[in-house]
Amino acid sequence: MIETLRKAARSIGNPSLQAWNEGGGKVLGYPCTFVPEEIIDAAGILPYRLRGITAGTMSIGDAYFGPVICSFPKCILQLAGQGSYGFLDGAVVVNGCDSMRRLHECWRKASEDIPGTLPGFFHYMGVPHKATDYSIEWFKEELGILARSISDHFGTPVTTDSLRRSIRLFNEIRSLLSELDEMRMSETCPVTGSDAASIVLAGFAMPREEYRETLGKVMARLRKSKPVSDGKVRLMVVGSASDDADFVELVESTGAIVVSDCMCFGARSFLKRVDEDADPIEALAERYLGGNLCPRMFGWYKDRLAFVRDRALRSRVDGVILQNIRFCDLHGSENGLLERDLEAEGIPCMRIEREYGPLVETGRIKMRLDAFMERIRTVGGRRS
Amino acid sequence: MKPETREYRYDWNIWTIMENAALVKDGTDKEYESLLGLIPHFADALDIFIRQGEPGVRFIKLVANYIRACIEAKALGKKTVLTSFSMATPILYAFDLVPICLEAFTIFGTVVLKRGTTEFLDYCCEIGFTETSCSSQRGALGAYLSGLAVRPDMIVCNAPGWCDSNANSYSFAASYLDVPFFQLSYPPEVSGKRARDFHRRDYLDLVAFLEENTGRKLDIDRLRRLVSEAARQDALISEISDLQAIVPNPVPNVFELMVYGARSFASGLEELTALLESMVASCRQNARRKLSGRGTTSESGRGLFCYIDHYTTDARLWAWMDTRNLSHLGSILCRYWYGEAGFVKGYDEGYTYSCATLADMIDSLADMTARMPMVKQIRGPYDAPGMWLEDNLHLARLYQADFVVYFSTVGCRNTWGAVKLLVRDLERMNIPTLLLFVDAFDDRVASWESITDRLEEFLHVRGISCGGPDKASWKA
Repeated sequence: MIETLRKAARSIGNPSLQAWNEGGGKVLGYPCTFVPEEIIDAAGILPYRLRGITAGTMSIGDAYFGPVICSFPKCILQLAGQGSYGFLDGAVVVNGCDSMRRLHECWRKASEDIPGTLPGFFHYMGVPHKATDYSIEWFKEELGILARSISDHFGTPVTTDSLRRSIRLFNEIRSLLSELDEMRMSETCPVTGSDAASIVLAGFAMPREEYRETLGKVMARLRKSKPVSDGKVRLMVVGSASDDADFVELVESTGAIVVSDCMCFGARSFLKRVDEDADPIEALAERYLGGNLCPRMFGWYKDRLAFVRDRALRSRVDGVILQNIRFCDLHGSENGLLERDLEAEGIPCMRIEREYGPLVETGRIKMRLDAFMERIRTVGGRRS
Repeated sequence: MKPETREYRYDWNIWTIMENAALVKDGTDKEYESLLGLIPHFADALDIFIRQGEPGVRFIKLVANYIRACIEAKALGKKTVLTSFSMATPILYAFDLVPICLEAFTIFGTVVLKRGTTEFLDYCCEIGFTETSCSSQRGALGAYLSGLAVRPDMIVCNAPGWCDSNANSYSFAASYLDVPFFQLSYPPEVSGKRARDFHRRDYLDLVAFLEENTGRKLDIDRLRRLVSEAARQDALISEISDLQAIVPNPVPNVFELMVYGARSFASGLEELTALLESMVASCRQNARRKLSGRGTTSESGRGLFCYIDHYTTDARLWAWMDTRNLSHLGSILCRYWYGEAGFVKGYDEGYTYSCATLADMIDSLADMTARMPMVKQIRGPYDAPGMWLEDNLHLARLYQADFVVYFSTVGCRNTWGAVKLLVRDLERMNIPTLLLFVDAFDDRVASWESITDRLEEFLHVRGISCGGPDKASWKA
């Protein structure tokens, strides 16, 4: 079971996605956790979180984006330009950050030079940077526009009932993943960090009902599994979008185990439920904008620090890895604050800037990890 | 940071320089000429303003007075607010706050200090900033975060929605210094009822934030005086912008910097009105005499700067343009979309001021802030109506630009994400456009000498400076 998820996590396509596609199912890509998957799912369309893994060159990405831009959207554009996202029927781009927002224009312009690389449905959604009553109202209207656009384009109405069904499905998935999260944080962690990452990542790329079934089976097995964390240094990974299970594997190759995270491809994506009793669009707006832990929500550092600190303490980590993709100012600078504040509380931190994508910097990162592990082993991990 | 850097407070250091610079024309011309030889590191930067006569001296005095107000605020019982260059200062002055405009302070340091703001840029990285986060904030912010400048009492930022790097700097500073923070957020659209309602609500929240953190109620009469003054000032700025359309351009090149530099911190203050009136008088006189801002009867080329200007080292961009007899047609930074401006009419709805009621003033300020430099152009897709591309095409046509140049900072994710597309589109319209990979505030990225090489080569190859046959063929 877990092998299925591992494969889905490490590639752009996967057999389940392929079968969905061959059966006439539509797929809609989105790059950021501010896009409610439920709206896409409610239209009977598979929500697929865009990723840039497997991009081996940046020949297309660099031709449109500038030189000092995060490599995550560049890799997505690269894959789109070279046809790897040919299975997409649509895409929604949001202003998750300034690098990501420009994917909208760069993708459109690239498709003028490389015809056929832009999905038939292409939508831009504006997300405010604050969560107040009026910004949530704005976001709610944006979600309404998105739902109507999808309905009109694909001819599959997004109704209150279909939204409620989708919200229930995604909440069930979130419950299972939250249980996995608690298991990982416990003393008897039954799963490696790289496998946990694979389990979560697969959920962004598979038809969700099938994913829920598979996840249920994986969890049933994990509930009976023996701990795999004994004798290992317990770490937490925090920061920029990281959808690379190999990165976690690299961390764990140093004798550590990643038992917790605070990332948008990790815990941040599933910990909060959607209110099933409220108006669906309103509930989605509240869930996706209110309390979102991305640093693009300016002014909420204390809440994010509290969240990271709480998870670090509950998962009894020996240290925290604060990573950011190069040119990610948001996570990069916030990591500086987190380092200051967590270290002040006796939690060892390692701050590292890296490129997104294939582990081209393995040697450098490994060296930094070894030094961090040496510090923890010599000086000791988190002081109690 | 070098120990000697810690010997002087950043803001005080710049204030003493500006205060003394404002006095240099009190003596004779001979004394002034002799002085220039004694201050090799300041001579270029000083002379570009002083040679403008009364407006240049007024500008330096305005800057000196402003910095002194920042430094003395606490002693006078006033609170300070760290804020963005695109914020509407009348609302801050109405609460008797002293706005510390971070980007203006970065420009001051970049232009007048021998080593620019290098050490403060790096200090920010020492405490967490990424090495390429925007230098326009980092340059001065390093001083504020290291305790070498006035500690702000609160932070108000209006970059969210159009610049993550900018907003992130202010948000970081609030967390680092543990002071209250407020953001005005911007949806992707500029106009329309939905956007307007959002801006109004955001502004009302700002007023509530300011009331809470100053312990004062908004002084409506004071706000009315400030907004009325701002309206007068924007009318004067519009006249300067409109005069730039004349060939040869009667507006001295450095006026552009003086307009946006002063407006960023002095909008609503009477001192700014006096400066602008003096600038307008100078431009009108040139126009009457059919002279360019450099005193010539013709110009070798007209350049539009599609983003910002370049400040390293000693503000030599303007002097370089003067020596080539090139006209600076402005950048995003000096475009205020005031509804009465010639370049706005028939193109954009612009903003207007109404002081009738508090609600009218709030609406006016919200409308104005929504159209401030960069806030307007880069908040949505670059090719959407009224955004970056359309504005540039409109201005290039109206002002008969011969070429367009992109100067920026390395940290400008938003524009670097779309600038290749912009350049490509402008070139397709036969507008020669130069994309420069430089940093306006950090000459370690590219020296001014290497930049001028690129500029000279570009103008030569495209037949602009030598008036070749393909000059501005797109205009036909």
